[in-house]
Amino acid sequence: MDPLRAQQLAAELEGEMMADMYNRMTQACHRKCVPPHYKESELSKGECVCLDRCVAKYLEVHERMGKKLTELSLQDEELLKRMQQGTGTA
Amino acid sequence: PPLQYSLLLQHLVGDKRQPRVWDPATLGGIPCPPKSEEQKMVERVMESCPFKAALACVGGFVLGGAFGIFTAGIDTNVGFDPKDPYRTPTAKEVLKDMGQRGISYAKNFAIVGAMFSCTECVVESYRGKSDWKNSVISGCITGGAIGFRAGLKAGVIGCGGFAAFSAAVDYYLR
Repeated sequence: MDPLRAQQLAAELEGEMMADMYNRMTQACHRKCVPPHYKESELSKGECVCLDRCVAKYLEVHERMGKKLTELSLQDEELLKRMQQGTGTA
Repeated sequence: PPLQYSLLLQHLVGDKRQPRVWDPATLGGIPCPPKSEEQKMVERVMESCPFKAALACVGGFVLGGAFGIFTAGIDTNVGFDPKDPYRTPTAKEVLKDMGQRGISYAKNFAIVGAMFSCTECVVESYRGKSDWKNSVISGCITGGAIGFRAGLKAGVIGCGGFAAFSAAVDYYLR
């Protein structure tokens, strides 16, 4: 699979991936940081601080999982290639 | 041809990512105009702990001054002359006493208010939640710090008293 095709496919998928991640992140951080007591409409300082931390952690988790998944898929591909070479020469 | 996930993932989350603009309108949120840098800076300053402490300090100063002048009017002990106990004090003496008392109360209230507001803001930033426990903890710290100068037991009593007072005010306000 050539790199240009991979880049095109990634560009198509990225929009959907980003939108999905944004929605999930909003939901998760809202559930964790904003308790359902609506005495006033402004976000208090504690909630703002909590949301900042939640977003930072979520994005870091996303990045680490992505890197780990890339590693795992590389290992998978190596294994598959070796198996194919093995069956090819044999 | 088989899909090579590692290549794809490198473009999505790895090293070959392109810088993207995060716009909530396109990602599924509610479209809103972006905040300008000045607006963001002003909001950051207004929400910061030192600003809140300064605000409480000024407010405490004003309130303490008013309170001091008021109590000077009620509980007066100015111009007492042992030789002539029925003499009415002069206006200058009364004003001087009111001023002194007002300033002294104002300074105390300003310091207490600034300390309480500062500790409450710090505790709230640390915990990341906003509920009644923040004011109780910061009330205990403030009362303890004030009372600690007169000994450990006075510190503990100050902590408990101020914490209870904060809890009562919080209960009333919420």
